[in-house]
Amino acid sequence: MSNARKLSMKNRYSALTRDLDWTPTYVDPKAVFPFTSFEGIKIHDWSKWEDPFRLTVDSYYKYQAEKDKRLYAVLDGFAQSQGHLSLTDARYLNAMKLFIQGVTPLEYAAHRHFAFLSRYYDGPGPRFAAQCQSVDELRHTQTEVHTLSNYNKYYGGMHNWPEQFDRVWYLSVPKSYFEDAMSAGPFEFLIAISFSFEYLLTNLLFVPFMSGASFNGDLPTMTFGFSAQSDESRHMTLGLEAIKFLLEQDEANVPIVQAWIDKWFWRGYRLVALIAQMLDYMLPRKVMSWKESFELYFEEQMLGGLFPDLEFYGITKPRHVEQAIGEKDLLSHQVYWALYQFSFAAGFTTTVPEDDHLDWLSANYPDTFDKYFRPLWDKAKKVQDEGGRVFFRGLPQLCQVCQIPMLFTEPGDPMRLAQRQVVHNGERYDFCSDGCQWIFEREPEKYVQAWLPVHQIYQGNCGGPSVPEVLAWYGLQDGDAGEYAGSVDQQNWERWHDHAGKADVEAPVEAEVRA
Amino acid sequence: MSVKAIGSYDFPSRSRQELYGDDQLVHVWWRNNPFMSAAGTFRAPKAMPWSDFRAALLDPWAGTDPDFDPAAPGSWTLDGQPITPTDDQTLEQLGVGHKSLISFAA
Repeated sequence: MSNARKLSMKNRYSALTRDLDWTPTYVDPKAVFPFTSFEGIKIHDWSKWEDPFRLTVDSYYKYQAEKDKRLYAVLDGFAQSQGHLSLTDARYLNAMKLFIQGVTPLEYAAHRHFAFLSRYYDGPGPRFAAQCQSVDELRHTQTEVHTLSNYNKYYGGMHNWPEQFDRVWYLSVPKSYFEDAMSAGPFEFLIAISFSFEYLLTNLLFVPFMSGASFNGDLPTMTFGFSAQSDESRHMTLGLEAIKFLLEQDEANVPIVQAWIDKWFWRGYRLVALIAQMLDYMLPRKVMSWKESFELYFEEQMLGGLFPDLEFYGITKPRHVEQAIGEKDLLSHQVYWALYQFSFAAGFTTTVPEDDHLDWLSANYPDTFDKYFRPLWDKAKKVQDEGGRVFFRGLPQLCQVCQIPMLFTEPGDPMRLAQRQVVHNGERYDFCSDGCQWIFEREPEKYVQAWLPVHQIYQGNCGGPSVPEVLAWYGLQDGDAGEYAGSVDQQNWERWHDHAGKADVEAPVEAEVRA
Repeated sequence: MSVKAIGSYDFPSRSRQELYGDDQLVHVWWRNNPFMSAAGTFRAPKAMPWSDFRAALLDPWAGTDPDFDPAAPGSWTLDGQPITPTDDQTLEQLGVGHKSLISFAA
């Protein structure tokens, strides 16, 4: 043993991943890998796949374990010192309720599908990359649950998220988005999730939650964010590697990939509408406006930085991107206005923004806020001052593709809702935008199956015909939904803090733990 | 275009009319009022008279806006075409189909 020498990292990686591959001889390779040809993508040489991070399983686990140790130390300290009392406000947790309900289940879905792909790609490079990402996504699911479970002891809205993900109307937006990708082929999934979701839009999706946490005293979520950051950058690199690999393998792949970029840009952009409102309305201490975030992370970094590089392969900017740019002064306001009216059926609360918040919105949206949106809030506040509360008296019309209520407006006309309708096999289908209509018309057979929450309620599949029955079927409890002012969370928060707004350490916090 | 799939791919609509029996879904849209955050959807019998549709579904929904005046709606359209509904006409007689869009200005 004395003359045994250690392999270099590169050789170790090669021996422990690619060398474990073999070419089947007594079984037809097409039977072993049955899913990698029907999409029309041509791969000539799988060995050309370059792994972004040449990790082996043993070094991967060692590295992740160290990060976990640091995270759990922070979680313990935060719980023991009643850290939740030093948040900016209990309202802040509405952002985290949205996160655990809508984002954590996507991590789990990604874990499942990357596990599937780690079996079904022909080449060992992408198989191993998919395996690493699958484990990452499972770890993110677990650490997010553990990070937020401490808040679940004291605040509403976080106690039934896995079931709510499958049932609640606004959570059908992320759920249907991801199921659209999972039910596509293995290459479309890469463009949908690794490229469009993890690369193109990740800074609009993930970063706002983590920055929001750091600005609002949420040390656990911020630490989770740091712990996930190196994984996320690996996932981003994988997304970029995936698209370059597909484009370099065969010229015939280019139009297929372009159509997927066109589809998944718009799908992802509609999904981040939920984040847009979170940034502008749910954070008591603001990070940056949605518009600023969109301009920096999307227009500057992606349209200005990435797409000129992709032009080399014949890839152009996503279809309908100009409509997304045209909405940046409107998006967050229109979405939160709808959530305000529909929060009687949500796992979070909403409220009329306070005066300094309205002024912040005016300052950040000088062309639109005072003209279109402040009058709506003035009227809602008047109703609230008179002891009422504006809630939507009915159920919304939904877009067949993105499943968001039909709340978006015509390009160039913020006063008029956009309505698109297509008749397919004798039945009408509704769309919120040209982008969603275009996606439907490419694959109508897929989207006619959409489980639209409003239609399912009317078919009697959601607990019963009345709103209270549906809310019970959602598993909502007293204090989860509705108006923030006067809510269980707000009342507890007041009780836990003295009049100076400081945490009252003598207050019997434990006695107020939710049932 | 159509779906590329590993086998035959043909599934029924999950919102098709037959799933609602003698009823159908009807969309409503108050065109010039941004206070209404979205368009709405109701389940309504095809044989429902217009006056009942107004009184039981549309007017209470429009009451989301505290300034709604039931006498004000006009310029009705059905799937983009102008209509002039009368109280005793049923939705079916008016030409309202499954997932039709009824809109007005007020």
